[in-house]
Amino acid sequence: MEILFYIFSTLTLLCGALVVFNPFSRNPVTSAMFLVLTIICMSGLFVLLKAFFLAAVQILVYAGAVIVLFLFVIMLLNIKEEERQRFRKFGAFLGAAAVAGLAWILVTTMMNSRAGERSVANNAGETKPLGELLFTHYVLPFEIVSLLLLVAMVGCILLSKTPETEEETE
Amino acid sequence: MNLTLISLEIGVALLGVLVLLAGLWTPPNRQHLLGFCTALGLTIVLALLVKQGVAVDPITDSSGGFVLDGLAVFFKALFLLAGILVTLLTMGFSNRLRTAGAEVYALNCFALCGMLFAASANSFVMLFVSIELITITFYVLTSLQSHRLRSLEAGVKYLILGAAASAIMVFGIALIYGSAHTLQFNFIANGLAAGHMKQLLLFQLGALLLLAGLAFKIAAVPFQVWAPDVYQGAPTPVTAFLAIGSKAAGFVLLLRVLYTAFQVQPDGPRLLEPAALLSLMAAATILFGSLCALRQRNLKRLLGYASIASAGYALLGIVALNERGAAAVLVYLAGYLFAIVAAFTVISILTPDDEDEDLSILAELHQRSPMMAVTLTLAVASLAGIPPLAGFIGKFLLLRAVIEPTATFPWLVSVALLGVVASLYYYFGIIREIFWGTGQWWTEKKPESARIKLADSQVVVLLICLLGMLVLGLYPQPLLELATDAVQVLKLAN
Repeated sequence: MEILFYIFSTLTLLCGALVVFNPFSRNPVTSAMFLVLTIICMSGLFVLLKAFFLAAVQILVYAGAVIVLFLFVIMLLNIKEEERQRFRKFGAFLGAAAVAGLAWILVTTMMNSRAGERSVANNAGETKPLGELLFTHYVLPFEIVSLLLLVAMVGCILLSKTPETEEETE
Repeated sequence: MNLTLISLEIGVALLGVLVLLAGLWTPPNRQHLLGFCTALGLTIVLALLVKQGVAVDPITDSSGGFVLDGLAVFFKALFLLAGILVTLLTMGFSNRLRTAGAEVYALNCFALCGMLFAASANSFVMLFVSIELITITFYVLTSLQSHRLRSLEAGVKYLILGAAASAIMVFGIALIYGSAHTLQFNFIANGLAAGHMKQLLLFQLGALLLLAGLAFKIAAVPFQVWAPDVYQGAPTPVTAFLAIGSKAAGFVLLLRVLYTAFQVQPDGPRLLEPAALLSLMAAATILFGSLCALRQRNLKRLLGYASIASAGYALLGIVALNERGAAAVLVYLAGYLFAIVAAFTVISILTPDDEDEDLSILAELHQRSPMMAVTLTLAVASLAGIPPLAGFIGKFLLLRAVIEPTATFPWLVSVALLGVVASLYYYFGIIREIFWGTGQWWTEKKPESARIKLADSQVVVLLICLLGMLVLGLYPQPLLELATDAVQVLKLAN
């Protein structure tokens, strides 16, 4: 099991880096494909943590739907400028500094905590306990999210509608 | 789940859904009736809230994520009032939103619902979900005038920056959960008090990222870049709602997170000391907003920068870390509500269809519509903090909270006073344009001089705002008592 963790986490980090920092290609489509790989590796990590529902959602929603949407947008807009764009040195420096700071905090935290300390109950990530929690303890936020989805739907329809007055004049 | 606890929110959400459905069967020339119905419905909800009164003991729901206490009730009343005024304002504006009819009223209701939940949020799940409901609704509302390029630009900018801010915030929440093992404000406070927090560094990082997300909501430096563009591009009623509703939601969450969850109090566990950071932020926000507004000629952009500065003043009350400061934030926001809605109402009436809101549209306003001239003058004076208007009381209390009982940051007060002086300059630029403006002198075009006829809904909004500014300014005692009662739940030192 442990070897699987190392394989998945290495792959996740490697693919994640290749999304934004690919020395071989500046093509946005390549970045999007590496994002798919990152997400699949991440769902593998979720499986190792016994969060099967999250793993499935990760693949279905992110790898399946969101990235396909990304690819559609990239291909429809035919982005060529991105390929010509160089790395911005200042941005890269700031990003590296932020990542280094974050990494330092995370590493010191991991050093300070002992393994297995206050670990979460083993089946908390499975689908049934998750569903039970969602519909009992977190029912109110859950319902607010449903309202949010309604807003998103209404917004999509509104924004994609062409104005009626302009249609008449055309 | 105790449904009576969230009856107001259910009422507002249902109202939104009903208006959305009713819009399907309402002919386009009757759509403004829906706005009237929405305003009426919201007024009934507000009346119910007032009748229900301030809950003496805080009531939480079974999961503990939702709390109904004095602070929540105060902000709910503020949000509902803002919602009613904005709905009335939208009625006069609806012919300019070409594609949207009933939907805009419904979306207003949904954003309002998010604000009502934000006022009661007692766990990070509720905080995140309610903020997302507000923000995502505003992405749509901002880009509603899709035939105007500016509106679309504002929507896209808000969407991208807002999504980044949300991502940062949710990462912060994850880190807080990782170190505190709970998402509820009270449990986090208990954990902090008992010294259970082992991964303190992680917790502090999480808190910092969370504060960044909230600072984006209130448009505080360095998370303010979106504000001027979005304020300028959004349809004017939406700008008004964004300026008061979204900002006040950020402040109520900031108050709750800092005082209830993180226990940032002089005698509390000193694990987080954000006062220095927040004071720097407040000073930078005041200076940035005031200095950038100096040379602005676009009215909405000017008010956008001014609202950044206002966020800075309100932050003073949080920097003070005492009960007076927290109460002053509430008083300031209440006064800000009337002034900013009044200003945006006048702008929305005056601006010609789909044109820029240049200062020159104000020329000859005192001839064209004395009522609007008086309202805008008073609104601007109130924003600048001239006695005896509502804005003065708020600013005075905020400054006093920083100085008394101990002047923790003396330099901050001088920065704030500098900001006030600068604000007098740009606010009085508006007043000068109303009474002595010559219109577009560079095109040698005579300013419009035809009298403006106001719709009933607009008159109602202007009258309510006028009354609010004057009454709160001349007789602030009841509001002060309400605000002081409301912040009792934060258990701050006096």
